[in-house]
Amino acid sequence: MKGNTAGKLEKILSSDGFAITAECGPPRGADAQVIRNKAQVLNGYVDAVNVTDNQTAIVRMSSIAACAHLMAMGLEPIMQMVTRDRNRIALQSDILGAYSLGIQNILCLSGDHQTFGSHPEALNVFDIDSMNLVRMVLDMREEGRDMSGFDLKKPPRMFIGAAANPFADPFEYRVIRLAKKIDAGADFIQTQCVYNMDRFKDWIRMAREEGLTEKVHILAGVTPLKSEGMARYMARRVAGMDVPEPLIKRMGGVPKKKAAEEGVKICLETIAEVREIKDVHGIHIMAIEWEEIVGEIVETAGLMPRPTLKS
Amino acid sequence: MIVGEQKSIEEIKKIVSPYKKVLILGCGTCVKTCFAGGEDEVAVLASALRLAFKKDGRQIEVEEFTVERQCEDEFVQESAEAIDRNESVLSLACGAGVQAIARRYEETPVLPGVNTTFLGVLEKHGLFTEECSGCGDCQLAVFGSVCPYTRCAKKLLNGPCGGSREGKCEVDPETDCAWNLIIHRLKMLGQLNNLRVYIPPKNWSGSGSCGPRKLIRKDHIL
Amino acid sequence: MEKQFKPKISVFHCINVFGDGEVLLPPERQDAAVEFIKLPCSSMIKDVFMLRAFEAGADAVMVMVCPEGACRYVEGNLRAKKRVGWVKNLLDEIGLDGRRLGLFNVPSEDAAVVGQIIEQTLSDLADLGPNPAA
Repeated sequence: MKGNTAGKLEKILSSDGFAITAECGPPRGADAQVIRNKAQVLNGYVDAVNVTDNQTAIVRMSSIAACAHLMAMGLEPIMQMVTRDRNRIALQSDILGAYSLGIQNILCLSGDHQTFGSHPEALNVFDIDSMNLVRMVLDMREEGRDMSGFDLKKPPRMFIGAAANPFADPFEYRVIRLAKKIDAGADFIQTQCVYNMDRFKDWIRMAREEGLTEKVHILAGVTPLKSEGMARYMARRVAGMDVPEPLIKRMGGVPKKKAAEEGVKICLETIAEVREIKDVHGIHIMAIEWEEIVGEIVETAGLMPRPTLKS
Repeated sequence: MIVGEQKSIEEIKKIVSPYKKVLILGCGTCVKTCFAGGEDEVAVLASALRLAFKKDGRQIEVEEFTVERQCEDEFVQESAEAIDRNESVLSLACGAGVQAIARRYEETPVLPGVNTTFLGVLEKHGLFTEECSGCGDCQLAVFGSVCPYTRCAKKLLNGPCGGSREGKCEVDPETDCAWNLIIHRLKMLGQLNNLRVYIPPKNWSGSGSCGPRKLIRKDHIL
Repeated sequence: MEKQFKPKISVFHCINVFGDGEVLLPPERQDAAVEFIKLPCSSMIKDVFMLRAFEAGADAVMVMVCPEGACRYVEGNLRAKKRVGWVKNLLDEIGLDGRRLGLFNVPSEDAAVVGQIIEQTLSDLADLGPNPAA
């Protein structure tokens, strides 16, 4: 693995540590305090905070700005960047700007389609795809050039992440796509939420057989369920999500008041199981609008204290 | 072919309302095939408009005429007399046809009666699907002859997104996932290795983002 | 005094449903303004025919077709049904009320059914009133 950015996330991963990241969605407004409050509850429990970029195509405070607020509080951000809203000029410009602010990590995504969001009448961009974005960030770091081939003065050196969904169709293709992302330059991979453990293990096995797990750090995505309704909604409505029926039943099998507790329990079992898989190097906790539970999960999972590397 | 869809009667009424004499001008090529602006659709729209205006107590004369192709001057000429008799033209051609008529009849308002939607294929009688964006840089050879620029809602060049489910697109479950089709085709062709090839960013400079495009065939210009 | 509303109805029908509509008209309606237009098959009905009938002053337009499954040309009556549905929407859009147009599956030469349908249409027209674009 090439790399050698200045971030803590890369340091932990490259020293065989088990990394913990959590998702943080910026607010639908300009109040930095919302970010600070979320940061407060995450501080100390995670190694880096993954900041979404207008997730589900809903207009929110920009990922870059929210990352800056997190850094001011001493947290290391992972800036998500989607190709939906910016062409290659804007993407590169924002990456330069983000790095100038001290942002060390990027997660390259294509982004949820705008028809699912608050502005279905918007024009999407998709000038390049997430694979191209990964390569662009890599070329900036390794070649010191922008996409046009121009030599950048002080090129950004970012730790590059990409997403993978082991549960989407067509399954056979999922590992090929992973291989392409790694070739394009991904240093770490964040997966879709793991509920179907059998399929996840299958995917890891296939990746291992292709020699991919040695080339990249895989972080397993986990999302604590809050209720049976949420489980069912994710199973039915959220594209690319695989929530097996027995799990939904399990959520429904406890009294409503205890459902969230059960969800956390399931999450902890998932974490325990993925920690047993040697090719998984960390977890990414997506506690959607439930950041306050992250600390409890990390603590109960026995993942405290977090390494105190200087970033 | 070019696919279009007739505008709603309500919108058309609004567009033609300033005029007392309207010529509905059909086009007998693409929009005829997709039931938007051929002779039959001209007749129906004319009749519907006459009824609509009569109901509203308005005196608007509606005349009908259809030419073979509104995008070729040679055919446009046939409509000269009918256009002269009217105050305005409601063209049921694609946007190119509307502009070709407007270019020839500078002093006549030429109005659109159709929303031009896409370059498509007649999948079965009554069903038209978009398959080409006219990007000016065809890469179908790599993709098993299925265009991801046009048929993937995210224009993904390097494989499917994570939202594809049972071969359908997450944006519209009625639409096939383009990448599912590509993978199927490549499998049939024994070219699955194409999937491992990194596809660099697309060159959009021929796609219309640099202003209107032109095709010049010097061998055909005197 | 307001003039009494005398409804005008145009009936498009397949010749396989009945040959001569006048004969099937209920005796008490022999003087009603019902016009019969024969079609070799109901699939010959075009959108514009129905609209033109309204332009010509019809208050209601009826399309009488063979029962489903009984079309001599297999799917003629199904095509007629689709077109009637399309034009009904158009009439709603114009503000003429799609209920003025109807498709009816009629068994062959069944005077009773034809009579009933016409009676029903006339009674519907009492509510709908005259064609506002006539």
